[in-house]
Amino acid sequence: MIGSPLATSAVFHLGPVPVTAPVVVTWVLMAVLAGGGAVLTRRLALRPGPVQAALELVVAAIEDQIRDTMRVAPAPYLPLIGTLFVYIFFANWSSLVPGIEPPTAHIETDAALALIVFAAVIWFGIRARGLSGFAATFAEPTMLMLPLNLLETFTRTFSMLVRLFGNVMSGVFVIGIVLSLVGLLVPVPLMALDLLTGAVQAYIFGVLAMVFIGGAVSGETGPGPQQEAKE
Amino acid sequence: MHLDAWTLALQTVNVLVLVWLLARFLFRPVAALIAERQAAAAKLLDDAAAAKQKAEQDAAEMAARRRDFAAEGERLQAEARDAAEAERARLLALAQAEAEALRAAARTGAAREEAAMRRALEAAARRLALAVAARLLARLPAGATTPALLRSLATDLAALPDEARSGLADASATVEVVSAVPLAEAERAACAAMLAEATGRAPALTFRTDPTLIAGIELYGAHTAVRSSWRADLDRIGQELSLDDEHV
Repeated sequence: MIGSPLATSAVFHLGPVPVTAPVVVTWVLMAVLAGGGAVLTRRLALRPGPVQAALELVVAAIEDQIRDTMRVAPAPYLPLIGTLFVYIFFANWSSLVPGIEPPTAHIETDAALALIVFAAVIWFGIRARGLSGFAATFAEPTMLMLPLNLLETFTRTFSMLVRLFGNVMSGVFVIGIVLSLVGLLVPVPLMALDLLTGAVQAYIFGVLAMVFIGGAVSGETGPGPQQEAKE
Repeated sequence: MHLDAWTLALQTVNVLVLVWLLARFLFRPVAALIAERQAAAAKLLDDAAAAKQKAEQDAAEMAARRRDFAAEGERLQAEARDAAEAERARLLALAQAEAEALRAAARTGAAREEAAMRRALEAAARRLALAVAARLLARLPAGATTPALLRSLATDLAALPDEARSGLADASATVEVVSAVPLAEAERAACAAMLAEATGRAPALTFRTDPTLIAGIELYGAHTAVRSSWRADLDRIGQELSLDDEHV
C-alpha cells in the first residue's frame, strides 16, 4: 500500500453508488459474523459444549463490562456495545487475511461508528430521561457549562473517530512501508503489534461508547478513568 | 482530507444492520440462554434448599418417631416386666400354696403313718406282753394256783347279778366246768359246793380240761359263762389295752 491512506477507490458501482473496499470487507465480515453467530447459537443447550462455553464467556464478559461501567442492566445496550466491539475487533484483525485492508483503516468506517455512538448517546439519553431531561444534562453543573458541554459532545465523538482511525491506519501504513522495504519476516513483529493495537482499540472504542451512553443515561458526564487509560 | 459520503453512509447502514443481525443471531440468544441457566441454577438451588429443608424435616420427624418408638418400647418393656413380675408372684404364691398343701398333706400323712405305726407297735407290744405274761404264768404249777383261782371264781359268782346267777344254774341244764389242769376230787367238790351256794341249787356238772386257760376255771351254763382263768384275764387286759389305744 503506497497510496494515500485516506483515499478510497470504488471497487464497483451499484448504479450511481460507488462501492469501496471497506464496504465490501464489511459485508464479508457481516456475513461471517452473522452467519457464525446463527450457526453457533443454533443448538444452544443448558449444558454447554466447548464452543458454546467460549461464546457465552465472550457475551458474559461484555455484559459484565457494561454492568461495571454503566451501572445499569446490560440487556438494552448489549447488542450495540457488543457489535461495536466484535465488529471493530474482527475488522482490525482482518488485516491477517492477505490483501485485505481493515475497514477501520478508512475514516469513513470510523466516522460511521462514531456517528452511531453519537446518535446512540442521544437516543438512549432521551429514552432514559426524556427530551427535556436529556437536554438539561448539558446545563450541568451550571448554565455556564452549556457551550462547553455541547462542544464536548462533538469533540469527544470526533476524538473517538480520530483515535481509532489513527491507530489502525498508522499500523497498516507502517506495515505497508516496512513491507515495501523488507518483505520477509521483518513486518511480522509489527503485524503482531498491530493485532494487539487492534484488540486494544476495539476494547477502548467499546468502553468509550459505554461511558458516553452511561453518562447520558445516568447523568454522569465525562469520559471517566477509562479514557485516560487509552493508548 | 477526503471523506467519501457514500462509503460513510453505506458503512453506517452496514454497522446498524450488523447490530441488528448480531442482536438477532448472537447476543440475545446467548444472553437469554445465560439468563435461563441462571434461572435454572436458581431453581435448582431453591429445589435443593427445599429438598434439604424437607430432608431435615424428615430427619426431625424420624428422630421424633424414633424417640416415640423408644418410649413405646420402654413402656412395653415396663409392662412386660410388670406382667412378668405379677405372673412370677402369682406362680410363686401358687407354688407356695401348693408346697404348703403338700407339706400339710405330708404332715397329715406322716402323722397318720406315725399313728398307724404306733398302733402297730403297741399291738405288737401288747401281743408280746400278753405272750410274755402267758409264758411266765405258764411256768407256775397249775395246781398251786387252783385254790386261789377257786376263791376268785367264788368272788366272781358273788358279783354276778341274780338273773345271771340263776341262769347259770338252770335246773334242766348242766354246767360245764373247764379247767387248765384236771381238777382233784376235792376241788370238784369245792366247785360244786360253790355253785350250790351261789345259785341255791345243785346243777349237774361236767368237767373238761383246756390247757389254753393257763390256770383257773371257767363255768359255762345255759345262758351265762363265768371265766376266772388267766386266759380270760389276759384277754380282758388285751381288750382294755386296745380300748385305751383307741381312745388315745
